[in-house]
Amino acid sequence: MFTQKSSLTRVFVLVLIYLLMFAFNEELFAQQEDTDEQGDLFEMSLEELMEVPVVVSAARKEQKITEASVPISIITAEDIHYSGLTDVPEILQFSPGIDMLRLSRFRWAVGVRGLHEFISDRTLILINGRSAESPLFGGSEHYTLPILMEDIERIEVVRGPGGAAWGANAFTGVINIITKKPEDVLGYFGSTTINQFGDSYTHFRWAEKQNKWRWRLSVGYEDLENSDDAGAGRYTSNTTGTVNSLMGFSSFTADDFMRNYRFDSEAFYDYSDRTRMSFGAGYSHAGVGDWEFGGYYPGGNGWYETVRSYTKLEHDFEDGSTGYLQWFCNFASSKVPTLMKWNWMQNDIEGQYNFKVASAHNISIGGNFRFIRLDTKIQDIQSLTYPGEPFDEQFAGAFLIDRWTLSDRLTLEGQIRTDYYSETQTDWATRLTALYAMDEEKDNLLRFSFAKAFRTPFTSVRNTLTGRVPLPSPPYPSGLYAFNVIPADELENEETCSFEAGYTGKLARNLTLRADTYYQRYSKLIGYTKVYDAFGLPYHKTSNIDGADSWGAEVELALDGKPGKLSAWYAYNDFQEDVSQQGIRAYCPAQHKVGLTGRLYLPDGWTFNANYKYSGTTRTLDLDTTILDIGSSHRLDLGIVKGFAKERGEIMIGVSDLLNKTNGPHFGSGQLSAHETPGLTLFARLQYKF
Amino acid sequence: MKSKVYILIVLAMALLVVPIVPEALADSTRSQEYKIKAAFLYNFIKFVEWPKGEIGDSNEPITIGILGKCPFENAFELLKDKQAKNRKVVIKRFKGFKELKNSSPNDKAELQRIINAIRKCHVLFICSCQKEELKEAIDSVKNHSVLTVGEVKGFLETGGVINFLMEENKVRFEINLAAAKRAELKISSKLLRLAKRVVKEESPEEKEK
Repeated sequence: MFTQKSSLTRVFVLVLIYLLMFAFNEELFAQQEDTDEQGDLFEMSLEELMEVPVVVSAARKEQKITEASVPISIITAEDIHYSGLTDVPEILQFSPGIDMLRLSRFRWAVGVRGLHEFISDRTLILINGRSAESPLFGGSEHYTLPILMEDIERIEVVRGPGGAAWGANAFTGVINIITKKPEDVLGYFGSTTINQFGDSYTHFRWAEKQNKWRWRLSVGYEDLENSDDAGAGRYTSNTTGTVNSLMGFSSFTADDFMRNYRFDSEAFYDYSDRTRMSFGAGYSHAGVGDWEFGGYYPGGNGWYETVRSYTKLEHDFEDGSTGYLQWFCNFASSKVPTLMKWNWMQNDIEGQYNFKVASAHNISIGGNFRFIRLDTKIQDIQSLTYPGEPFDEQFAGAFLIDRWTLSDRLTLEGQIRTDYYSETQTDWATRLTALYAMDEEKDNLLRFSFAKAFRTPFTSVRNTLTGRVPLPSPPYPSGLYAFNVIPADELENEETCSFEAGYTGKLARNLTLRADTYYQRYSKLIGYTKVYDAFGLPYHKTSNIDGADSWGAEVELALDGKPGKLSAWYAYNDFQEDVSQQGIRAYCPAQHKVGLTGRLYLPDGWTFNANYKYSGTTRTLDLDTTILDIGSSHRLDLGIVKGFAKERGEIMIGVSDLLNKTNGPHFGSGQLSAHETPGLTLFARLQYKF
Repeated sequence: MKSKVYILIVLAMALLVVPIVPEALADSTRSQEYKIKAAFLYNFIKFVEWPKGEIGDSNEPITIGILGKCPFENAFELLKDKQAKNRKVVIKRFKGFKELKNSSPNDKAELQRIINAIRKCHVLFICSCQKEELKEAIDSVKNHSVLTVGEVKGFLETGGVINFLMEENKVRFEINLAAAKRAELKISSKLLRLAKRVVKEESPEEKEK
């Protein structure tokens, strides 16, 4: 006999189930149904009309994600928008196989399947296929990039070596940030986000289309208060005794603010049906607070400036072939008391031609030449110094990609690329893939790949010379330091080979499954070794140390439709160095990672979004074994959005890191101190489209 | 007792509403289907090349012919006054062949006049209602550079160039490359890449023609 209350509960559950069935009814799940509300159908590309997710990062030209020769995940504009987050690294952590740690208010360690650091030089970051990495330090300094979150169309995350397509430094993976086209965001747009600590993120955009021209202009301002003001700032040191007192860590505070002005623009000119030109320019100025590095903590503010520009000419030939020529220039200038003052400039000319041979071979050939100039200035005796600067370096690369359709079911793709680098040696990369469609509709595909890639040692790793934390004299002779870095001997490129297998399939209507597994071998990894002088003082020196094995799998299940989105993934990423605890300038991947994203589009303009990520213990690999592993963490973000004024306006209230589990201090490579960062953060965002 | 009544009412309403609402929405879904098909037609123009002699000079519009009475033909009105290839897009509607024969069975001149007008179109969308006269419709533009677009099974096998499919309520398309070649139309690799199926060789039926 049921009580009345339990009967009511059962009935409501039944009704709820029934209504959910109604909500997920196949007729109503038609995604294209609401395209009118999403914008003018006639402004949409074919891919948008078909709602086919396309990617460009696997083979340097557009292809369906299911047919890519490498595992790729997409973070969509909606994922970014409904997360409410204001930093690219933060949203990346919700993608399968990505390891992310927050090192300070604005410094992040992001890597594909680990090997991440505050500058993760083994994961290549691109913006619209153009390099966004620092030739001085290797990886990308995300906070210096002139890119605004609401201008991002999608982020493609390639898991696995991508060197055959992108060259020298796509070692563990590629993160390609694709920006929105002007025609997709016509009009004026304003957005501002504030949080409980007084941090703010503001973005204004104007996009227009007139005759043959289309353009987008964005300006933004980001203000992050320092950790102490943001309710955090607990300081931790991994040094003890003499060094600790010498460096003054006992009075350490966290004045690690950032104020960033950004500008980004893109213009397209449709010269004819077949010929297009595009131009872009971006600028970012980030003023930043104190930062300890290598035991040196002068306690002064610094700044980073970045300029990115490009010109691209694209042409579709009458025979169906296509091609482009592109020039881009990245310039950065910085003054950071902890490090030094530096300028660098990259000029890159690139061309690509895509054509068919005998109807079964889709071929892309191309190459690039890159000229780099690096110029550093010593600020004081404890600055990092680079004997022999300025440096003029050159890269030249050539690639061939052949996608060979052997039959309706079987496709082979071969990619090969060779790169000349003036500072090490000419090297090569490849990716060989077999794709087999298990059904005529190509809804279920199997993929088997072999890939080889390499990583060139960047300028900083090859040339740094510094002595830090002066030792008291007496007892020591004058001019000695407790922490010393000396230039490397001749370094060779790091190398990696991987064997991969994957499945992409449609399990049911709107339900897709992706499963990828891999074994990857690293060799000649560049890390630190310790040598000692006559006084027994340690010197850090970079060299090609031993290799490592890496293996794992990522499984992603996604349900996407009109009522919302539901996706769940699990990643197992293991890493075992040949010699225990060898310093490889990076963290290991967290072995176990789990991600969940849920989004529900509710009536009357309401949307609810939730992102969850579990990250297992992250092992740190450093010569200094006192650095502790980073414990597991849970991250839960919730947000609710309400549209108003016929969906022109939107207000969002959200909370990030609801469980307050990701605020622990994390030591980056070369850092002897670390701060806790704000965890639980309440925020609000207001947007309006004019 | 009163609460049980409420429960029954709620359940009854749910049972009634759930099957009814999708039916009510079906019309708007189909209307949306044709709006999307119109947008596809517009995109096809961008990715198809006509022979220079057939496309005319830059002052001439791009003509899209609609053959037969489509269920939601107003959707194609959205194409009016659009620009493609730097030309204006115009829509011309034609009675279906069966309809034409029924209305004036002996007026062969009228039929020929319409066929001539159809042949001047750049794109000809053949509605599903023309299923029975499909072969006749496609044959009428044989040896002319007309991009025939259909929406019925077997359209490509009958000699049509592009056929719409519905797959999980999404519009997809397939291409007959051999038919395009015969009509001297060049189809871009992008269109071919996105096609659900590409027929490269002529079907036995086509070869017989």
